Parts: sequence; structure tokens; C-alpha cells
Amino acid sequence: MNNNKDLINLNDDLEPKIPMEFKEGVTDDFSVEELSPVSRRKFMALVGASTAFAAVSCSDYRDKKEVVPYNKKPEEVTLGRPNFYASTCTACALNCGILIKTREGRPIKVDGNPDHPISLGKTCSIGQANILNLYDPSRIKSPIKINKSDEFFLFKKDVIEEKWNVIDKEITDLLKKATSENKEIAIISEPITSPTAFRLFEDFKVKYPTVKFYFIDLFDENNKKNAWVKSFGDIPMSPLNYKDAKIIVTLEADVLGRECNFLENSGEIISNRNAEKHEEFNRIYAVEAGMSLTGMNSDYRIRLNPAQQLAFVLSLVNELGLQKKAFNLPGNVENGVKGYSLDKFAADNKVDLKTLKNLAFDLAKNKGKSILVAGKSLPEEVHIAVNMLNSLLDNKSIYKSSTFVNYYPKSSKSEFESLISKMNSKQIGVLIQFDANPAYLLSSEYGYEAASKNVDNIISLTESQNESSRLSSYVLPINHNFEAWGDYQTRTGSISLQQPVIAPINNTRQKEAVLLNWMQEKPEEYKEDIYHKYLMARWEKEVFTTVSPATDFNSFWYGSLHDGIALLKDNSTPNLSFNFNAFNPTSTLAANGYTVVISKNYFLRDGKYATNGWLQELPHPVTKITWDNYAAMSLSTSNELGVKMNDLVEVSANGKKVTLPVLVQPGIPEKLIDVELGYGRTHANEVANNVGVNLIDFIGKDYKSKFIRTDATVTPIPGHYQLASTQEHHMLTEKFVKDLHLERGIIRETTLDEYIEDPKKLKEHGEDKPHFSIIDRVKYPGVKWAMAIDLNKCTGCSMCAIACNVENNIPVVGKEQVIKGREMSWMRLDRYYSGTDEDPIVSQQPQLCQHCDNAPCENVCPVVATTHSPDGLNQMTYNRCVGTRYCANNCPFKVRRYNFFDFREQFAKGYYEKDSLKPLYNPEVTVRSRGVMEKCTFCVQNIMDARSEATKNGKDFDGTGVKTACQISCPTEAIVFGNMNDPNSAVSKQIGNTRNYTILEEINVKPNINYLAKLRNTVKKEEV
Amino acid sequence: MKKSKLDHALKIRLPITVLVILITYAVTFFVSRAERDGIGYTPEQPIKFSHQLHAGKMTIDCKYCHTEVDKSRHAGIPATDICMNCHTVARKTKPEIQKLVKFYEGNQPIPWKRIHKVPDYAYFNHSVHVNKGMQCRHCHEDVASMDVVGQKHSFTMGSCLNCHRNPKEKMPDLFVDSAKVKIKNGPENCNACHR
Repeated sequence: MNNNKDLINLNDDLEPKIPMEFKEGVTDDFSVEELSPVSRRKFMALVGASTAFAAVSCSDYRDKKEVVPYNKKPEEVTLGRPNFYASTCTACALNCGILIKTREGRPIKVDGNPDHPISLGKTCSIGQANILNLYDPSRIKSPIKINKSDEFFLFKKDVIEEKWNVIDKEITDLLKKATSENKEIAIISEPITSPTAFRLFEDFKVKYPTVKFYFIDLFDENNKKNAWVKSFGDIPMSPLNYKDAKIIVTLEADVLGRECNFLENSGEIISNRNAEKHEEFNRIYAVEAGMSLTGMNSDYRIRLNPAQQLAFVLSLVNELGLQKKAFNLPGNVENGVKGYSLDKFAADNKVDLKTLKNLAFDLAKNKGKSILVAGKSLPEEVHIAVNMLNSLLDNKSIYKSSTFVNYYPKSSKSEFESLISKMNSKQIGVLIQFDANPAYLLSSEYGYEAASKNVDNIISLTESQNESSRLSSYVLPINHNFEAWGDYQTRTGSISLQQPVIAPINNTRQKEAVLLNWMQEKPEEYKEDIYHKYLMARWEKEVFTTVSPATDFNSFWYGSLHDGIALLKDNSTPNLSFNFNAFNPTSTLAANGYTVVISKNYFLRDGKYATNGWLQELPHPVTKITWDNYAAMSLSTSNELGVKMNDLVEVSANGKKVTLPVLVQPGIPEKLIDVELGYGRTHANEVANNVGVNLIDFIGKDYKSKFIRTDATVTPIPGHYQLASTQEHHMLTEKFVKDLHLERGIIRETTLDEYIEDPKKLKEHGEDKPHFSIIDRVKYPGVKWAMAIDLNKCTGCSMCAIACNVENNIPVVGKEQVIKGREMSWMRLDRYYSGTDEDPIVSQQPQLCQHCDNAPCENVCPVVATTHSPDGLNQMTYNRCVGTRYCANNCPFKVRRYNFFDFREQFAKGYYEKDSLKPLYNPEVTVRSRGVMEKCTFCVQNIMDARSEATKNGKDFDGTGVKTACQISCPTEAIVFGNMNDPNSAVSKQIGNTRNYTILEEINVKPNINYLAKLRNTVKKEEV
Repeated sequence: MKKSKLDHALKIRLPITVLVILITYAVTFFVSRAERDGIGYTPEQPIKFSHQLHAGKMTIDCKYCHTEVDKSRHAGIPATDICMNCHTVARKTKPEIQKLVKFYEGNQPIPWKRIHKVPDYAYFNHSVHVNKGMQCRHCHEDVASMDVVGQKHSFTMGSCLNCHRNPKEKMPDLFVDSAKVKIKNGPENCNACHR
């Protein structure tokens, strides 16, 4: 839409004000200069020639090419049937159990392993999209030796592809030389969670005594850990248990999206928000700055500058301990909290006092059944105060009965500083970047890149090139997650196994095997199973003997491999008593000018997965922005700065300046900027390079408040930027559109108490009235498919969207096309704001093809490419589609997606069309080409599969056993799919629920996606 | 000389009409020949394997080699090691068997020429049809009598639907014992084959 205000403003010079009639970009495609240089005559000649060639080649049109069978068929392969292998995801340190689906030996899909005791059959967006990294065209194909010059890049002239055995020999000589000269061999690695890798590292230290390991982790939990030790003594931390919590208070902790094990948290928290068991319904208070998934799903959200978090906790302690006398305070705590009170806190921070009083009331009432959790970005003293409040409230069941397993501690700031000074003084013999990217993750204050010039031998072990491999003299390609062996233990009680499901695609080796090989007498004689044997040997010696099952080792090993997990005895019950001497009421944070909150991105981790197009294009769960980071700020802050969305601001913090586009985000405190990490890669692949801005320098060396900068300045600068968003939102104050989604009944929600009082009240949008139709309703006598989505359980985490992308071969379109509204994802997460800009109420709604009984798209297709099936599916037949797009125009839900291009070829010059990606595609789903409409199919391939299974077993198909990809991946089981004609199916039970509704009921299209209204557990007025 | 109407009709209209009719006929004939649908396509295979001998004379069950036909979408072209079940011993001296052994020992797959094919966007499922009681010959004709296998039926959408709509007419042999017949009309909706 044109912004008329700017156009009408004709005062001074006319020309620059109205440069073009149309909005920028609209007419680009027709610019004469950009037309093809091929002339008409040439074109005709080409057409003639190609017709002639076509005629010639058609002469053997009957040739159907070869069909090539196996020479020796592997026993477990049945052509056309998938195999599933249990393994472990190594995309992050949570190490969820995964099931990898393979077809004819190639992985095509990743789901959670239901037998895994921690991840319980769920895996996150990164874990699912990780399969794209396996086939990434930018993976390094064979080991590389780089002849050193001052600036060098991979794949350039001075690069020599070497054989592994030559490189192994050279490197072991270097290692031996460094040992004999007593120079340090520094190994920089990501923190490890594998007991066998831990053993390997220890062995490596014995072989090469000058080895020193450095562990780099951007999102460490040092503050939390230090606070834990001070609070409870030097015992291992325990994971939180939300199962019994009635009141959940999160302080700057996105427990549903980014903090701790968010998959496990989501499952536990949301399972206690069951409308049918309302006495167990929990209440979530989110106290946070940036809008997060937890904030969006909370019952009460208190927006607060993180510098005030300590004051918040202390005011609560004061209220509960001194005013309400809910517990007794020891002397030093009483003195510490005397100066605080809820009233003062509410006035200082413009927080609603009533909400705070409610919170205090709830905590006092539910003593022993509440849980307070502080985010890892908060400073130590807040964590201590939260630990204290938890123990004062007698919250005993807050921790699970297992503890985290610790391997090496993460390296501190001083360790890295000493490493860099050693590098500069040439004391480092060999530097090994062990699948870590320190050049990107360490802020420029450290001077890592400059120091690396003073190290002669840098070895990088990496899957594809990154900022650090650029600095190396040897680049050794390593196996992907799905090509490697391993075992992982994050907690006591179980140990998870990782097995390869495909032989290494390129000439790569497993990173652990590379180290192990360098410890051998003859490293040039490498054996493929070296680490596999090492792993098995450790299991036989250590795991097998501790478990001591009634079988022999082989049965135990293959049993564990099959399950992906071995259960261990767990004797660790934490016995925690808070040490009140640790209480420290002085805050290390003080808001002074602008505050910058540096958050973790939901999908890119620390930037390692910025190379993955699916993750880059998955809309941010809150802001719906793709392909960029930005400065999110409140409306009042943007007004104060005089900027609008897509304007530019210069943010300076920690002595560093960066330019960021502005995003106006409701629900952010004043004078606060929320930014995300993980962008601005410079030497990764074509997907990640130069996307967004690198904000690592904001973090700097200061580890106390690593992610919170309270001394920032923000200045608007001239210029404009275009963020690619899949859903925009209007001003919340605009009268005409305010709360439209509620008024039209697209989103229906109520409070728990009102629902208990009168469940029928939700139905006031008029669906009881019969709708008039000129045709009789079609009957569906057999199976009829329907889906029910419980909005009360949906958190908006977007894992369904990525699962759909992987399952249904959905292409990456790129930022330019997203701006034009051409993203291809079949599953869309709609986010609606209501309330005020300061304290918005957020609603979520997954939106996909509604498979309407009276589908409006079907009537308008001129070639009958979209029709209805007898089991209630709205079918899309690609080979009939001629691309008129009438169907998409007539769809009231806007869920049809059109292939404006062959997007694989269009995106980044055919980056995702390269040969290495061909095995990625699900062979049961057609890969759509240009000019074809597509949309959600209800995973018809799974339906057909279940149907043929029933036929095979000689049964009538009753619709059981079909799951859609989105349903499988949903961490809170919000999505239910099945046969609605079967009264016992889960979906017909959901449809029978009083909360059930369909959207846009008044147009009588009869959708088959049912939504169940959201309930908010806010306090009854009379209760306070 | 003034041109008459008849002149015009004879010199211009008639030839054009005849030409159009001829071209239409020729194109229609060319396009609708049975050959266009692949009927009669009998390519030469890399090894002269005879179905007549194996399936006909020796009455080896189809499923002995095409192991996946009742388990999966594909019937499965047998892997070379299935041939070697017998031919490690049987007829080792014959030149065609020596070819086979050479492929096997050289770890090379045999590039069989493909005879029957449905397009990529059609997801035909062998196991559903076979498990419902349909016989191989209903689509592939009596392979056991062919020395060199060729295509006998067309594999167009029309031929699929023909059978889906009138199974009784197209496969009368399956409906002899009407009490035991499990076969109903096949699905006709798009998603049955296309997705």
C-alpha cells in the first residue's frame, strides 16, 4: 500500500518526493534495461533449433531408460518402505533422542524418539531441519591443506586437496614436535556432553601432555551455576520439574522457547493447562523485557527492564515475608529486603500493582506448589534471590530427582585471554579448532583473528567452511550428526546412543575418530570403525558393568542401539538447603540510558545453523520476521526516537556501534532494545553470508551481565531498510481494526473461570444457526479426515511448520520473495495482538489448508485441478494445474501457495538445486515445479500408506494409525488428526468439546480444521 | 477474367479443407497409435533373461524374484544376488550366465531396460493391488509365456480408470467365485494416485 501522507507532501522540491507512481519494487520485473539481451531473431532461431532437436530426440521416445537394481541387496531394505533408526541429535547440548527415517539408505526425515526418557518423542526445529545440513552443497568434500599466504579463502588457487593419510602423517609429526618442544597444543571445542568423547579427550591429554582444551559456549549458564553453588553448596544442578507447579513465575526466562530444555518444559507446563481438569490448571506469570514465547503464552505478563529484576524479587520477598508473613526471614535477608516494597516497585516501573498483588497472593496460597525460574542472562544475585524465594516458599518438588552430568567446565574469560596471549607470543605449537567457531563467537575485543596469524599450525575440523576455518592451514571435513557414532549423557539416569544412518557422503571422517587416529602408532593406516570400536569398548567396560543386565554384552549393545537409549540406575535425589549467607541484595545492573537485551535466536542457535535455509526462513515465532535481525522496541520508544518500522538506528553498546533496522514490537519496556544473535556470518555458505548483523561485539568480555547492556545509546540515522515479515500488524490503537480477530470469532478465548461457569458462552458467534446452502451437503459415509488444534495447548513454537517443510519437500524462497509474500510454507502460525501496545494480549493460531467441505477453491478452478475426495480431502493435482491462481484468490484463509518460480533454481543462483540435495526429497511427495499451486495435503502420503497397510493385512481401513508431520512434531500435543466419523477417535472427541469452533463460519465453507478455544487462567475479580 | 465463386471454392477452399482433414487425421493417428502408449515395446536386455523359461517352464513363483511386490509400492527388480542363489551352481558355463557372474563379481548393477512405467507423478502401489487378489497378468499379460518381455497393455490414466470403474468386466476371472470376491471398484479420486 502506498503511504499517501508522504506523497501528498508537496512543499519543496517535487521531484524526489514523487519519483514513481508505484511502490518501489513493484515494477522492477518489467524494467527494460533488465530484459534479456537475446534478440527476437535469436530467440526464434533458438526455438527452431530446439524443435528440431526435440524431434530428433523424440525418435526414440519409447526408451524408458534403465531400471537398476542392487547388486547385493542389504537385508533390511525393502524398496519403497522406510526404515527408522534411533539416534541422538547433536545440534545442541540438549541431545534429544531422535528417530531418523531413511528410504533406500538415505535419511529423509527426523522425528523424536518416543522411548527417550527426556525428550519423549519430540525434537526441536533445528533438530528437524538439521537434515538439510547433511546434504548441504557447501560441505567440504575432502581434506584441504592451505598454503599459507596472508589472506586465504577456501576453494581458491592456493588450496590443495590432500589425501587423509598424508595429512594425518604431517599433523602427527606437528603434534609430536610441539610435545617435544614443550609448546602447548590448544584444542578449542564446543562443550561436550559425551562420556566417550570425555574419555577420548583425557586419553589424548595422556598421549600429548601439552594439550589444553578450551570449551566455548555462547549461551553458557555460568551465572546460574555460580548462584547454585553459592546457594546450595558444590553439588550438581538438577533439572526443573514443572509437573506439580500451580504457579509458574518466569523471570527473563523463555522456558517455552529457549531456556533450559524447552521441549520438556513445554510438555510439562502445557499438559497442566487442561480445560477438562481445571483444578490442576497452572498459572503463568512472565516477567520479561523482550516478547518471548513464554510471555505470549502467559496468563500475566509483566514487562520489566532486566536491571529491575532483583528489585522485583526482593519486593516479592518483602511482601510475602514481612507483609503477609507467609514465611520467616533470617536477619540478613530481612535487612536486605526492608527497603523494597511492591507498591514502590510498581510505581517506579509503571507496573500494574494489582497484578503484583495477585502474584504475591498466589504464591502465598500455593506455598510448596509454585516455581520461580530466572533466565540464564540474569546476573548471579538474581539467581540467588530466586533460589532463596523458592526455598522460602517450601517448593520441594521444583527439582527432578536426577542431576545434570558435568564434564569439563566451560572456559572462562581469563582462560581465553591467556590462550590469546600465548598465541601472540608464539607459545602455541598447534591450534585445533575442533568443530568450533571461535573467530565468530569470540568478540573482537579478544583479538582472536589477529592472534591466529602468530600461530603456524591451525587445524580446523568442520563440516563446512566458517569464519575460523578461513584462518587455518589444514581444513579437515567431518561427519554430520547422521554419519557419526557417539553416546551422550546430559543427566543421570540414562545415556543416549548415536549411530550413523548413512555412510559418509563425502570424504569425511568423524571428528572424534580423527583425534583417536592421531593417537595411533601408524596414523596413516586409518580404519573406518576406529571410534565405533572405542565406543563399544568403553560401553563394555563401563556402561555394561554398571547396568549389569541379565544378557551378554552384544545383546545389551544391540538392544541399546535399537532403542537409542540405555537406562541407568539413578540414585541422585537432591537434598537442597539454602544457605542464607549467600543472599546478596546489591544489584550489578543499573539502567542508565538505553538497555540492550541480547537474546538467543529461536532457530539459529549461536549462528551455527544460520547456514540452513529452512531455519532462516522460518518466521520468528513472535515478530514473524525472516532472514534478519533487528532492533525491537516499544511504540513509545520509537516515537521518542522519531523512527518507524524499517527505519535505521545506530545502537552503540560496549564501545561498539552497529546499524539495525527498527521493529516496533508491542510489550517491550521503554528505553529498551531487544536484539538477537546468530546473524552476520561472513564466511559461511551462500545462505548465511551477510544475512543480518553480527552482534557478538555487544557481549564483549564482560561475563557478569553478558546478555544485558544497560549503558547503550540509540540514535536514529537516515536510511531505510526492508524487513521480510510474513505477517504484519496494525497499530493496536487503530479503532477500525482493533480486536478484529476477536470480534469476527477467528480467535475465541475466555478465562478459565468464565468457562467453568458457562461453557456455552464461547459459542456466541452464531454457529447454532443453520446456514443456508443451495446444494445438499455431500455425505461422507466412510472415513472422513479432520484435524483439531487445541489453541489452549499451542504455544506458537513453529516446530510444526518446519516438520511440514521437511516432510513435504517445501523449497526455500529467499528474502526477496518473502517480501513479495511468496513464502511456500504450508503451515503458517498466525499471531494476533489485542489489548494495548504496552501490555498486549497475544493469540496464536496455526493456519493451514482447512479442507473445507464446501471448498471455494474447487469451484473456480478452470481445469479441475483441485477437487474433493470421498474421504473429505481437498485434493490438489499438480500435473493438472495450469497456474491461473484463481483458487488462491478465492481461498478465504489464504493458505494456498504458488510456485512463482522453480524456487530451488531461483534461490541464491540454484543453491538448493544442486545434485547433493536430491536425496533429501521425500520420494512419496511430488517435487513441484514452476507454475503450480500447492497447499497442505493432510500428509496424504501417510494416509495412503496406512490404507495400503490395512489392505495388506486384509482389514477394512478405519482411519487409525495416521499421523500428520505437524502432529508428530508438536511438543504439546495440540494437534490431533483422524477420522471424525469414528466416535472413538481422538479427533471426534475434540470436535465434541464445547470449546470447539471453526473459523469464518458465516461463509459456510465448512472447514475441517477445528480449533479449540484458548483459556486464560486470570484471577477472578472477587478473589483479590 | 473475373474469378467465379466456384473457382475460389475449388482452388482455395477445397484444398485447404482437405489438407486440414488430412493433417488432423495424420496427427490423431500418430498420437493414438497403440505404440505411443508403449504397447509392443520389447527392448533388448543386457542379459537375455527368459521369463518363459524361469516362470513358465520351471514355474518359479513371481514373488521368488520380485520379493517386494506384496510389501511395497514397487514390485522390485531382483537384486543380482537373487539370481546367484541358483546360478552359483546352475548353468555356469553358459555365456549369458557368465555375463551375469561378471556383473555380480565386478560389483556392477545390471542396467536392465525399463519396460513398464507409470509417470513420476502417479504413485502406483503394487502391494495394494496384489494383496487384494489381482494377478500380475492383469496388467503385465502372461509374462510366463514371453521369451523376451514386452509391454502388452497401456499404462495411461485411462487404462487405470477403466479397470477401477469396471473391475468385473476387465478381470472376469477374479469374479468367478462371487462369494469370495473382495474386490470392489477402485478409488477414482485424484489423491488415490497423485499427491
